[in-house]
Amino acid sequence: MITLRGLTKRFGSTTAVDALTVDIAPGRVTGFLGPNGAGKSTTMRMILGLDRPTAGQALIGGRAYRELRHPLHEVGALLDAKAIHPARSGRAHLLAMARSNGIPARRVDEVLATVGLDDRAAAKPGRTLSLGMGQRLGIAGALLGDPPVLMFDEPVNGLDPDGVRWVRQLMRLLAGEGRTVFVSSHLMTEMQLTADQLVVIGRGRLLADAPIDEVVAGSAVAVRVRSPHPDGLAKLAERLTAAGATVEAAGPDELTVTGATVDRVGDLAYESGVRLHELSQHGASLERAFMELTAGSVEYAGVPDPVGETR
Amino acid sequence: MSSTRTRTRPAGRSTGFGGTVAAEWTKLWSVRSTWWTLLAAVLVTAAAAGQLAIYAANANTNDDPTDDRGIVTVGSILIDSMELTQYAVLALGLLAVTSEFTSGTIRTTLQCTPSRGRVLLAKAVVTAAVTFPLGLLLGGVGALVAGPVLGEWGTAPVAGTLRDLLAVAAYLALVGVLALGLGAALRSAVLTLIVLLATLMIVPLSLQEPDITVLNRIADGFPAVAGGHFMAGDVEPYPASAGLLLLVGWAVVALGLGRVALRRRDA
Repeated sequence: MITLRGLTKRFGSTTAVDALTVDIAPGRVTGFLGPNGAGKSTTMRMILGLDRPTAGQALIGGRAYRELRHPLHEVGALLDAKAIHPARSGRAHLLAMARSNGIPARRVDEVLATVGLDDRAAAKPGRTLSLGMGQRLGIAGALLGDPPVLMFDEPVNGLDPDGVRWVRQLMRLLAGEGRTVFVSSHLMTEMQLTADQLVVIGRGRLLADAPIDEVVAGSAVAVRVRSPHPDGLAKLAERLTAAGATVEAAGPDELTVTGATVDRVGDLAYESGVRLHELSQHGASLERAFMELTAGSVEYAGVPDPVGETR
Repeated sequence: MSSTRTRTRPAGRSTGFGGTVAAEWTKLWSVRSTWWTLLAAVLVTAAAAGQLAIYAANANTNDDPTDDRGIVTVGSILIDSMELTQYAVLALGLLAVTSEFTSGTIRTTLQCTPSRGRVLLAKAVVTAAVTFPLGLLLGGVGALVAGPVLGEWGTAPVAGTLRDLLAVAAYLALVGVLALGLGAALRSAVLTLIVLLATLMIVPLSLQEPDITVLNRIADGFPAVAGGHFMAGDVEPYPASAGLLLLVGWAVVALGLGRVALRRRDA
């Protein structure tokens, strides 16, 4: 169990994490979702006692990380796959970790086998490890102390499709054993396949903390309208807006409508005399829910290229 | 996974400080730079002791009678050669902590051992445990080179030479720990090396340059000068033991600064 209470981190005038209060429960995979720069890594570093909170607290099993004597038995964490000394072998890296917490050396071989790093790969110096191998080594380090709480920051970065599936299965397995599994990602599709519970943040603020089905169901259903007549489409958009729906131009001949049913959009199109090539309903997805939740909290939003003004 | 789960917490055995020291020991010897540093220290000592021995012998045999030093002890040559050798040795203490910040492994280290004081103390124990015997080895190498070069102009009384060897080893262990503490406080290897060069050499040398009593007394407070008085067994300006205490004080203060920095700053 990880408990965050009003957890806040400010760097100068920037608030990276803003009064987060969340319980992350054992026995399930909790996805930690947010756009880049939302404060996910900072939150994880505060849970591990690496960054000092400006206010509030982060507790693991009711205790602050800095109070733990043999923390690898309590919490396993993968933060940064590249954090290995360039000249030290992966095996020596794990061995030093094991010794610090009184873990026998044979456990190092066990976790290396679990993550699929053979003797040759484990003997390579850190600088020669690929990102994917680094991720596997980091996961091995997290598993060393057989801890009841596990945290992974973007664990599938740099993994091939097989590796991604393996990580997914491992997370499910660990949660199935009754452990607390807290995984951050900016990939919504990945979370949809892995997580039971979602904690979504944007600009350091909690946007959602709910079972994944609820988050998805809570997102608005969208209606897609396509017509060969731009003028007619514009007229339809006007009427839809007047009727209280939200209309977005998805292309020159396409509208995305939220806040109105397919039937209603069809009726209005008929009344306006607009010929349609498509009228379809699009089911809720985590991706859509995520976009809606984090709209307005994206750190680096792309500016649409004004058509016709390039060169 | 469940089939590979084993009981990893040894029942009834505390792995407190010993475990932290074992981890630091493992880290130190699992990178090749440690071995290169040792080799560099041996070569620098041999070269410096050889060169200083040649100077001492030449001073006696050249045409100028005013610079004759007479018969010198091998130990004094060793002690003088430390002025250069120490930089190879303090690299060990320095790299033990700055390399963790460069590579990002400091986060792993603090995840394994959240007590900043314990991590730093374990690093200090390992640094001293390596630099003290290294000092003895370097003293032996220096003596083997300086003795034959000095020839008839050298003498090596057993008791005196042993004392000099121990003093050299103690000096190197303490500057190693001083470098470690500063490294933890400053985080950057280059910055730490600059501060060390200034503290060990540039500032005290500049103070001594005009030969004004007040400035000389201030210079006597600096670690390398205090260490020099300690190794030489001086009675002026203070007894050798006071020189040792001053050096210990510098090392302890540096460790204290490092601990404060590690506790306060985000890793």
